[in-house]
Amino acid sequence: MSFDTRVTQRPLRVAPTPRIRPEYKRRMRLADTLQVLCFVSVAVSIALFLGDGGAARFSTPADAITSLGVLTGLVGTDLLLVMMLLAARLPAIDRAFGHDSAMALHQSLGKPALYLILAHVVLLITGYSLAGKVTIFAEAWSMITQLPDMLLALAGLGLLILVVVTSLVIVRHRLPYEVWHIVHLLSYAAVLAALPHQLTSGSLLIAGSAQWYYWLALYTGVAGSILVFRFILPVVRSLRARLVVEGVDEVGDGVVSIRLSGRRLRRLKASSGQFFIWRFWTPGLWWQAHPFSLSAAPTGNSLRITVRALGDASAALPGLRRGTRVSFEGPYGLFTDRARTSPRLVLVAAGIGVAPIRSLLETATFLPGHATVILRAHTAEDSYLADELAALCQARGAELRIIAGKRPAGLNTWLPAKAVSARVSLKTLVPQLRESDVYICGPRRWTDEVVRDARSAGLPTRQIHFERFDW
Amino acid sequence: MRIRAAASAALASVSVLAIGWMVGAPAAESLQATLASATTATTTPAASTTPAATSATTPSATTPTAGTGEAAQAPAAATAPVAATPAGVTGTFDGSVVQTRFGNVQVSVTIDNGTITEVSALHLTDHDPRSVAISNQAAPILRSEVLTAQSAQVQNVSGATYTTAGYLQSMQAALDAAQF
Repeated sequence: MSFDTRVTQRPLRVAPTPRIRPEYKRRMRLADTLQVLCFVSVAVSIALFLGDGGAARFSTPADAITSLGVLTGLVGTDLLLVMMLLAARLPAIDRAFGHDSAMALHQSLGKPALYLILAHVVLLITGYSLAGKVTIFAEAWSMITQLPDMLLALAGLGLLILVVVTSLVIVRHRLPYEVWHIVHLLSYAAVLAALPHQLTSGSLLIAGSAQWYYWLALYTGVAGSILVFRFILPVVRSLRARLVVEGVDEVGDGVVSIRLSGRRLRRLKASSGQFFIWRFWTPGLWWQAHPFSLSAAPTGNSLRITVRALGDASAALPGLRRGTRVSFEGPYGLFTDRARTSPRLVLVAAGIGVAPIRSLLETATFLPGHATVILRAHTAEDSYLADELAALCQARGAELRIIAGKRPAGLNTWLPAKAVSARVSLKTLVPQLRESDVYICGPRRWTDEVVRDARSAGLPTRQIHFERFDW
Repeated sequence: MRIRAAASAALASVSVLAIGWMVGAPAAESLQATLASATTATTTPAASTTPAATSATTPSATTPTAGTGEAAQAPAAATAPVAATPAGVTGTFDGSVVQTRFGNVQVSVTIDNGTITEVSALHLTDHDPRSVAISNQAAPILRSEVLTAQSAQVQNVSGATYTTAGYLQSMQAALDAAQF
């Protein structure tokens, strides 16, 4: 056990402006590079076909349809691999976009990728059947029975459809998270099952050709990233940190702060505002992993999270015993001081969203008087960690505003009815909003409303930071 | 996405596509050249000089008959097209091995007294199962077409462009060798 109790980040009391801009520029450069790479990878997969003389294979309808079928397969598979990289918890992607944005992009690519793969199947069967002058069904049957690895590819397609369908919003919210997650992991099997037919049935990825080398390197790179960053790294970090539950403090109705202790946590390079995906090794909880944000600045030997025990097995969290082993994936997220672009700070929290806000306040860079904390609650009593926030605000010279009251029915706003009728908005609450970074954490719909308010006040995207909890 | 990123992405993607296109151009051209040489060779024998994509194996007659044996050693292009009278040529002639990206193609032509009586495939595209299937389908069509046309000037079998090109070019080489 180590005795390193110092916080890993220190609040700076110098004027922060010069430090923040270069950091932001570096991050944007990285983000630009990654986006360019993403587009280029699509271009390369088309170029693989062109480099094979594919441009000449559009002269007859049958040839053109077949060529389009090959192209949709290449681009669709490339998008699937990009999606997997986005979900692979690559440090560079997390640093550039944050886990939230990366997953939003991952989600938005799902349907296009599936459509491309389906187009690949339909176009190739059509193209081949036109060339062979047989019916589409006869061609489909002969392809499945005669071409190698086609059954495997078909199984992969089935899995892919299952994964995308279970991820549609309507279906997803009816499934327990664990069921959805296990089905989702089948996408690895789907993409792997599609590989053999690409190499054996097609004529493009011929062993030894430049295309073959590129394609295998792409597959290997993606598989390696997933293996390292999603599986090996979390296990190694968990084993090294030896995290255990130190204590559980009741914060409010069903809300607890869980204190964790471990060793050499400085190596995690965790920041206030980030989250981990936690797994508590008790008989009832080990099979579930939960994303929870740090509610206190991390130190060399301790971490703290504040959680609301919602439904299912997480209701057992308040009963965690001291000494329970904890494994984790993380830290993830860009909801940190690193994302800052402006000298002033506005922190807006509702409900359990107060957790990352509380840790941010502890270590964020700002001069006394340059930060405002806005806490939203139904009544003045039902906010969590309010006393801790008040003490921190006093210590660091931040203003705390608690806004209580129910939201008006049928109106899209993040404020209570009384405030709405008094024409209160983010701008009236914080006069120097334009020189501020706004951090927002709360329920999804509410967060969207605050973001909308910030945007209508003319705040650029780089000054608005938000994290959403629900999966 | 910022303007700079969008511009770089567009520029980089277009460059990659252009490079792919350029790399692929020779392959596309050789296909066109192969088709062209196979289908125009009979009218101007001089045009049947071996295209870059084909192998350099000299066509040779397996059973040369008297009077054509000497001519078979030399490519048709070297001599005047009127050097031998087509009538009376008899024998089986192997065409050149034509390399395509789906595998080699070689045919042999049997000529009986100036008439093409049989074209048989010695080797067809076999790079992958799909190519084998295409070739097996295209070969009988090509055979009946060339037997009817009595030359290598026949229609491309759609969906089997490479097989057609290789088939006709190899056959033309055999006909050249036979001074047909």
